[in-house]
Amino acid sequence: MSATSPLRNRLPYVAPRIAQAALQRARLTVVPRRRTQAPRVPFVTFVSIILLGGVVGLLMFNTSMQQASFRETALQNQATDLGAQQEALEMDLQVLNDPAHVAAAAERLGLVMPTGAGVLHLGSGKISGDPQPATGADRLPLEPPGPRRPAELDPPPVKEKVKAATDGVPATVQ
Amino acid sequence: MQIGFLLIAIVLSVFAARLVQLQGVDPRSYAQMAAQEGQRTVDLPATRGEILDRNGKPMAATVDGRMVVADPKVTKEVAPELATILSERLGVDYFETLRRLRVEGDGGRFQYIARQVPASKAEKVVADIQEEFKDDKGRPFAGLATERDPLRTYPNKTVAANLVGFLGENGKAGEDRAIVGLAGLEDSFNTYLSGKDGEARYEVGAGNQIPLGDNTVTPAVDGKNLTLTIDRDLQYYTQRVLQQTVTKSGGESGIAVIQDTRTGELLALADYPTYDAADPYRYDKGLYRSSALTDVYEPGSVEKVLTISALVDAGLGFKEQRFKVPGQLNRQDRPIGDYWDHGTLKLTLAGILAKSSNVGTVLAADQFKKGQLRGYLTRFGLGARTGLGLGGETRGIVPQGAAWTSQVGDRIAFGQSLSVNAVQMTAAVNTIANGGVRVDPTLVKGAARTDDGTAIGTDVATSRRVISEDAARETMLMMERVVQPSPIGVAPGAQVPGYRVAGKTGTAQRVVDGRYDGSLSVSFAGFAPADDPRFTIYVVVHRPRAGSGGGSVAGPAFAKLMSYTLRRYGVAPSGTKPNQTPVEW
Repeated sequence: MSATSPLRNRLPYVAPRIAQAALQRARLTVVPRRRTQAPRVPFVTFVSIILLGGVVGLLMFNTSMQQASFRETALQNQATDLGAQQEALEMDLQVLNDPAHVAAAAERLGLVMPTGAGVLHLGSGKISGDPQPATGADRLPLEPPGPRRPAELDPPPVKEKVKAATDGVPATVQ
Repeated sequence: MQIGFLLIAIVLSVFAARLVQLQGVDPRSYAQMAAQEGQRTVDLPATRGEILDRNGKPMAATVDGRMVVADPKVTKEVAPELATILSERLGVDYFETLRRLRVEGDGGRFQYIARQVPASKAEKVVADIQEEFKDDKGRPFAGLATERDPLRTYPNKTVAANLVGFLGENGKAGEDRAIVGLAGLEDSFNTYLSGKDGEARYEVGAGNQIPLGDNTVTPAVDGKNLTLTIDRDLQYYTQRVLQQTVTKSGGESGIAVIQDTRTGELLALADYPTYDAADPYRYDKGLYRSSALTDVYEPGSVEKVLTISALVDAGLGFKEQRFKVPGQLNRQDRPIGDYWDHGTLKLTLAGILAKSSNVGTVLAADQFKKGQLRGYLTRFGLGARTGLGLGGETRGIVPQGAAWTSQVGDRIAFGQSLSVNAVQMTAAVNTIANGGVRVDPTLVKGAARTDDGTAIGTDVATSRRVISEDAARETMLMMERVVQPSPIGVAPGAQVPGYRVAGKTGTAQRVVDGRYDGSLSVSFAGFAPADDPRFTIYVVVHRPRAGSGGGSVAGPAFAKLMSYTLRRYGVAPSGTKPNQTPVEW
């Protein structure tokens, strides 16, 4: 519109009124409507395919989610089992790591904890301290004492007075 | 047309009535019924924090355990066979299991068979049984099942059991019982260790979670780990040496404490006798505590180092200071004597300490102004809880006010008429080792909060200067004379070959039921290397056989522990000569 505006403004001067009306008429022309018959089949097919695809896709998606859920449950169980197994092994390891266990194993091999040790200074090669070989006398008691027996299991001895047998009469318990 | 509308109206009215019934009358119960259908709620138990030693080795650990439960309605038909398998594989009692598998009546659908079984073992046993006893249609046996039941393990058994404690069920039988800490750190840090349980709700179909179903999870907040300053291997060695020392001397009980001089961290805190944390119920309840904190006693002559260091700090004494020490000192209520008979001796202050003379110490302490010694003793930490984080600590008694008479003051100067616990005494002697600065003893690395809300640990430990560095050094030099061979010192057995050692013996009478019963507590406290101390060790043996002394019983134990600790932490001898201050003049 902006391109025609200067022309229209100038029209009163360049053309008579009739020509102006003709110009207006020439612009607004009623044209016959074009009616076209779009083919329906491709559209219906297209929509059907989309619908079918959607349903099938949804079904497959759902199935795969279900399958993943089954798999997850199975893997979860497996993870629990493996976790339990790992913990059991760690427990065994802790028992083996127990200083009492290590000390007992060392003693079975004939090792004794030394009481005095020397320090070798790597720079000077000097030995300080008073290293002494360990002997059997340095052995420590490795086992702590067990629990004390409850008093009920350790009753005082029962004392009974017995009369000495005299003149062939058998002894009687008083 | 109108009939059609009428029909629709009738149908809608029926719907509306049903709606009112569902939403108006009792909406909750219906909602609940809907929720129960296919919805499963699972508790997510918080994992209890571990208790670790200073090197991260577990002292108390939690593993995934299971309880095996039975449905007697199903199991009673095959009870004997099941009981045989269960007793063989789970170690449960055959007859008790048989009874439970056959229970009828109220408990007829749920019976415990075994609790706190390691998960893999329990799962395996139950899976095998389900397979072996499956029914005609091939369905697995439904009479046995497992449920989660976390299992607490104490892999080191007796090592540090007095500190770690154990877990157990609280409350009486038959009540709703919870698993809580019953002793030691498990008890005092129960909340810190246990965390907060969570919950998961989800919908299930055929045993599997429905992917897009309702699903809410409140995650469990796991308990925090508690890292101790204890060195597990050193603790084990300490307990062994302590056991040997107590049994050899015919003693009743003993305590050994090893403290890092510079940081105040306790590397070992041993009690004898002790118990097995993995099997506590077979032992006396009295053993569940740490007697190094709960039991107080008179420290005896070990306390003399505090008196003498205070004298030096106050400018009232020095190591060559000369004293004429009579055999007996007659004071107001009763004469004070020494453990050995002697005439008047000419001893230096170093000699008084080296020979452990009560009379000499009283004479030296006479120079204190009123209240001065008490001020020093409280600054050394006596009479106040050490705050290690274990429950049941006793403060000990340092008399004050009118109770501090001149006779009591005399006796306190050489370690009687006051009571301490072993950790207090260790920290006090450590003050001298640490150049006069007392650092709080600690048992927990970092910071943690006990159930009563107190923050403890190495991060919150404080230190304060008690005596000057010079006074601490002078006291150390005097303490070095104690471990010299007779006739200079009284505890040559405490000498660690190759190292300079400073220490002090103690032999005190025991107060039982308010009076001295004739039995003794012998002890030795010291540190090494004397000229650059790294560790302070205190050994106490209660009630050894008659004739025992701190030098002969606790001294050698100290030497063994110190030698091992120095070796373990790679501390080289300083190579300097020990102090030679004369003990007589």
